[in-house]
Amino acid sequence: MRPALTAQATAAARAGGRIVGVGQRLWRRSAWVGLALYALALGAGLGLASADWATRGGYPFGGVAVGAWTIWPRAGATSADPYTRAVNARRGEIPLAVGEGLLMTAATDDAGRGLDAACTYSITGATPPARAWTLTVSGRGDPDPARPPMREGFTATEILRERDGRFAISLGPEAEPGNWLPSPRETGPLRLALRLYDTPVAASAGSLDRDAVPAITRLRCRT
Amino acid sequence: MNLRLAYATLCGLTLAGLVHVATVLAIPLLSETDALSRARGSESLDHPQPIYTVATTANPAPAEAWLPIPDPAVAVGVCAYDLADGPLRVSARTGPLMLTLAAHGRRGAFYAVTDQAAVRGALDLVILTRAQYDEALASDDESEPSRDVRIVAPDRQGFVVVRAVAGLPSQRAAANAAVQAVACSIDSQSEEPPTR
Repeated sequence: MRPALTAQATAAARAGGRIVGVGQRLWRRSAWVGLALYALALGAGLGLASADWATRGGYPFGGVAVGAWTIWPRAGATSADPYTRAVNARRGEIPLAVGEGLLMTAATDDAGRGLDAACTYSITGATPPARAWTLTVSGRGDPDPARPPMREGFTATEILRERDGRFAISLGPEAEPGNWLPSPRETGPLRLALRLYDTPVAASAGSLDRDAVPAITRLRCRT
Repeated sequence: MNLRLAYATLCGLTLAGLVHVATVLAIPLLSETDALSRARGSESLDHPQPIYTVATTANPAPAEAWLPIPDPAVAVGVCAYDLADGPLRVSARTGPLMLTLAAHGRRGAFYAVTDQAAVRGALDLVILTRAQYDEALASDDESEPSRDVRIVAPDRQGFVVVRAVAGLPSQRAAANAAVQAVACSIDSQSEEPPTR
């Protein structure tokens, strides 16, 4: 009995050893295949995700900061960088051309704090020279459908000015005397957009200084 | 094994950089929702397709609003063109409101003009290819210089944006009307039929 058993055992051991050997070779090869797949997946996934993240929101490059405002002089030009063009393509935006006007946006006040819908701000001073300008405010995301439509912006001709031509616009949740721009939502961040039409500064946006753009001051906050 | 993993991660990161750059460059080319693709729908109209009509008391909610963040005081219209059909002529009569015309190609705006460039209340912008421009120059009458503003477009397809700024709420209906009043037509100056 024992010789048969040992013959069977050695045959099994040899077969097992062969299988283990084949398994080891496969494992070594599949390690390379696995690593290659891992590198490809990492590259594709990270590349696509980072491209989507970079082009999803506002323009990542090309802004000139003046005070609390960021000027986008070349958002619509043919010399715009690829990120700006991708953002425009995704949103379906038609930006203002250099001869048409200039877009300026602000997401913080002059002290650097983010614009909040529950706070009251005062936007004062003067704007760079332009034939017409509009100041609009928007919140993040879709507007609340239950909210009654209220003023979304002011134009240069509509606002009340002081005697020297300067103006003061209040942005806040509660009605204020003078020029009052209601907050578009109850809570959340806000963004201001100042669009200048037919302005000579579009060609030389880097030469604007802080006095030429409106100042944004926070007065008080609700809550 | 760890060294191999680090090497694979490095390759993956390099590949991620290349994919990122390629994707960002490809988005404007492949996009279906960018302004150029959407403007193609209006190619056969004589007047600009209104893509943002300012809200008036008669029409509080604008019908067409495919601009992502429209300016509520500015009426916008687009005229798409394909220069294979011929040069595009955009004729505007200036009025009390400020009007701007901007020509966009595939890569962005290559020309913009406001109503300050109008001669005696009329502004004619003609978009041409280089060949059409040479032909127009050659066929110009010396004694009667043309008052057109001729622009050579970098691409064959594109669109012209018309914007009218309504300074006061009472001017909003006039701004919508001013955009609609601009005429976009195809100039066929040559006598022989266009060869396809």
